[in-house]
Amino acid sequence: MTALTTLTRAQIKVFLREPVAVGFGLVFPAVLLLVIGNVFPGATEVSPELGNKSLVEIYAPAAAVLGLLTLGIAMLPQALGLDRERGILRRLAVTPAHPGLLVGAHLVVQAVAVTIGTAGAVLVGVLAFDLPVPQRPGWFLLAFALSCAALLSIGALLGALVPTAQTGVGAGMLLYFPMLFFAGIYLPLQVMPEGLQTFSARTPPGAAVQALSNAWAGVTPTATSLLVLMATTVVAGGLATRFFRWE
Amino acid sequence: MTTPDDTHPHPGPHAVEVRGLAKAYDGRTVVDDVTFHIEEGEIFAILGPNGAGKTTTVESIAGLRTPDAGSVRVFGHDPLADRADVRDVLGVQLQESSFQDKLTAREIIDTFRGLYPDPLDTEQLLGQLDLDRVASTRYAKLSGGQQQRVSIAVALVGRPRVVILDELTTGLDPQARRETWGLVEDLRDSGVTVLLVTHFMEEAERLADRLALLDRGRLVAIDTPAGLVDRAGLEQQLRFSTTAKFDEEWIRRLPEVSGVARVRDEYIVTGDERMLFSVVSLLAAHDIVPGRLQVDQPTLDDAFVALAGRPLDDTLEVTR
Repeated sequence: MTALTTLTRAQIKVFLREPVAVGFGLVFPAVLLLVIGNVFPGATEVSPELGNKSLVEIYAPAAAVLGLLTLGIAMLPQALGLDRERGILRRLAVTPAHPGLLVGAHLVVQAVAVTIGTAGAVLVGVLAFDLPVPQRPGWFLLAFALSCAALLSIGALLGALVPTAQTGVGAGMLLYFPMLFFAGIYLPLQVMPEGLQTFSARTPPGAAVQALSNAWAGVTPTATSLLVLMATTVVAGGLATRFFRWE
Repeated sequence: MTTPDDTHPHPGPHAVEVRGLAKAYDGRTVVDDVTFHIEEGEIFAILGPNGAGKTTTVESIAGLRTPDAGSVRVFGHDPLADRADVRDVLGVQLQESSFQDKLTAREIIDTFRGLYPDPLDTEQLLGQLDLDRVASTRYAKLSGGQQQRVSIAVALVGRPRVVILDELTTGLDPQARRETWGLVEDLRDSGVTVLLVTHFMEEAERLADRLALLDRGRLVAIDTPAGLVDRAGLEQQLRFSTTAKFDEEWIRRLPEVSGVARVRDEYIVTGDERMLFSVVSLLAAHDIVPGRLQVDQPTLDDAFVALAGRPLDDTLEVTR
């Protein structure tokens, strides 16, 4: 436990010294929401085409998932690839600590950063655009925890396999952009054709957005969305643990 | 050829014991039946050209590789089966291993410090390794020599009883290399057993109490540096010049001399170590004062060529 604390402390410093990670992970969700709310006319007004929601209401949970995707899918594989490429994992393997603890430290730091990013998005929604606070706080926290677990597991799986930082960036980007689509970042899920909507909701990012958005609005998240997130966590996390390359 | 290595003057296990170690990657044999032991408190060097199997051998000792055959013990413990016991006594400086660029020297040492049960003090290590002035500098901004010293500090922070230093001075300038050598000697003086891996002959000659010559995965010989030179049975070479007239046969007839060659007024005499005295006495008896007198001792380089049948690789020639 002390070894994990030590490595986490070091990893926090590494994270905070990476301006891109800090910018995108911590502040971007709040900034995106501010921009959408202020740039689009009528963004705070409920619209029937958007399923009786406002644009801001839709983008608040999506922005939180965007932060999660940016850190977990776009950046985590690169960070793990770098640790492998630079022999940092190998170096840890000859200390009393298992190198897996460094992966654990990365995940802890990412999860904390994403939580801060999401809290930022919630605060902006509530303070700047008069959104209600999440109506089902228990479900919201559960949905958030499962979303974190599922998307970070996918990032960890990519990071488990890529030999270098460069391939980590490539593999991450390959998943990142389609996932942004399924999270409804380019196009709100509500305006997608119905088939695509259903499909999106069964992808991990879509399920994350749907579960968060339901809990925020006061609706119990669907079993499907929670199951998708849980299954993703088990499968991707299991594969990552099984096939992690230490050098 | 594996040298029998069963002498065991001290009770208790050797610091490191390697028996019949073999490892192949994709059918290509990298280490082939290597056997040696390291006494507690000595500097033991593994010397050989690139690709000789040095790194695979030490990685097996560090528990990073699973041997195909043979056994490895570190103070009696198997690095794979008794991982925890070995990690606590073994410090490792790996050849291609680095640290997070964005952490400072102090933060890196502090981090590894947190992984050991009874670590050394960070500030003390920084001072010892002359890193105090750059303690707050990020790893990426340190010079090659400073990065190497951080790596040594990390290898030492857990108070190891044995420390592996793999290609410690590769890439360092001569000044930094000499300073690093001093550090290794300090280590031995403080009672730490050192396993030094190098393809740098001068380094092995200067530091090692005993050394193992490795070539193409096989152990060529183990001995002290002087012992290896003796074992190679190499002759000394004496050069001198004189314009005085004398018969080469006088020298050739000396029992210690095996050959004489002459290039204009320079003579090159080969023979065993007693030759110098005999030749100089003979010249003195004939009132000949030799000019530009020079004795060439056989070096470890020559011994390697004699024992392995080929020179160390080209990179050595460049670095010298």
